[in-house]
Amino acid sequence: MKALFGLEERILDTKRDMEAREALLASRNLAVPGGESLVLGFFRDDRLVATGALVGNILQGIAVAGEIEGEGAAAAVTSALLKKAVERGMRKVFLYSKPQEARIFRELGFSLLAEVVVERSGLGAALMEWGAEGIEDWKAGMAKFAEGKPRGAGAAVVNCNPFTLGHRKLLEHAAERSPWLYVLVVEEDRSLFPFDVRLRLVREGISDLENVTVLPGGPYVISSATFPSYFTRVPAGGDSRKITELYAALDLEMFRRHVAPALGVGIRFVGTEPYCPVTSVYNDLMKRILPAGGEGIPPVEVREIPRFERDGSPVSASRVRDLIREGRPGEAAALVPKTTAQWLESEEAAPVLERIRTSGSRH
Amino acid sequence: MKAVKDAAAGSLESSDVLVTVTPSEGEDNTLSVDSIVFRQFGGRIRSVAEEVIASSGLAGAAVKVQDRGALECTLRARLETAIERALGRA
Repeated sequence: MKALFGLEERILDTKRDMEAREALLASRNLAVPGGESLVLGFFRDDRLVATGALVGNILQGIAVAGEIEGEGAAAAVTSALLKKAVERGMRKVFLYSKPQEARIFRELGFSLLAEVVVERSGLGAALMEWGAEGIEDWKAGMAKFAEGKPRGAGAAVVNCNPFTLGHRKLLEHAAERSPWLYVLVVEEDRSLFPFDVRLRLVREGISDLENVTVLPGGPYVISSATFPSYFTRVPAGGDSRKITELYAALDLEMFRRHVAPALGVGIRFVGTEPYCPVTSVYNDLMKRILPAGGEGIPPVEVREIPRFERDGSPVSASRVRDLIREGRPGEAAALVPKTTAQWLESEEAAPVLERIRTSGSRH
Repeated sequence: MKAVKDAAAGSLESSDVLVTVTPSEGEDNTLSVDSIVFRQFGGRIRSVAEEVIASSGLAGAAVKVQDRGALECTLRARLETAIERALGRA
């Protein structure tokens, strides 16, 4: 235990501590984030007066009691969390705050990545980052890939878990209608098929298309930072639709503000989403946010392409995983290109297939 | 001596400084300085940091100094502690 700013700092783990924390968060109109790997509390006279948590590499749930506001407690909480993050080997951390409080964190060395307020719900959030290899470095790296390529290019963001004929048709369609096409593969490794396999199968599956560059999505394209509810369940008590909308809007704001200008993208292609409610909210918002444009931000046209169907039902990666789970590999193979089918039969695939059959995970 | 682990010392509270030291490739050190009083004291902060780094024998590290108006003695103490930790000695 040590004193920070006259406050006693300790890790919260008892039920009593957690209840006090929940009450403090609620008093500041904040929900319990969920998925925390570390929760810190700051006490004065044995009363919890400030708290903050680490959720992966994201600082979340930072709250300071009204009675000590303005005494620099937010700086104490934030730097205590940053030190814990650094000790855990994180070079970079993200932080969510309310838009009106972003200034506090800017003064603490965070840079603003994107800020949104969703009109329908009134919910708003600012996404910020701190540490090495920030957004400007990433954009410079992306701009190198785009050097000498035509502007007004197309882009598609895909998870491809695994790469199916549906993905193939979408990318084929997009490549035909774009001067150049960038395919960004979601890098977050939370899917049943590991990232390096997903990336490789996309590359192999469209290697015949000449005007396409396949790139890892990196930390700024549908990552646990830009779109946490895509990867984790919305916390109990939260309004799932509103929260999904908020994060989806943030991810799209990141795309519009950073990704599209860095690559010179003018069109974003997306498949229609008949099943997944999260993706369908995302697609709806995309059509409102990307074409808007703004100061220094070129508008991005959105083209929604109907899902490729076979035998009357849409070909999707979740269908392929279901067929594998049900022990129908032949039917699964019929929905994917040869390159993916070959991989599914390889030795490397065995542990992945086993995990699909035994885990309850849908992703 | 090569830095062996990521380390931090100090804080972002007013009148303090947060120093982070992370191992990087090669033998060279890199130093980045950010301060709320950069215009007045940025040069001095940098030279103090370079001096402390040199006398510690640290190599192959990225040092980041994020100053919130710390006194020079505070800056030196934070630098020394973060470097010791990065070298695995504290």
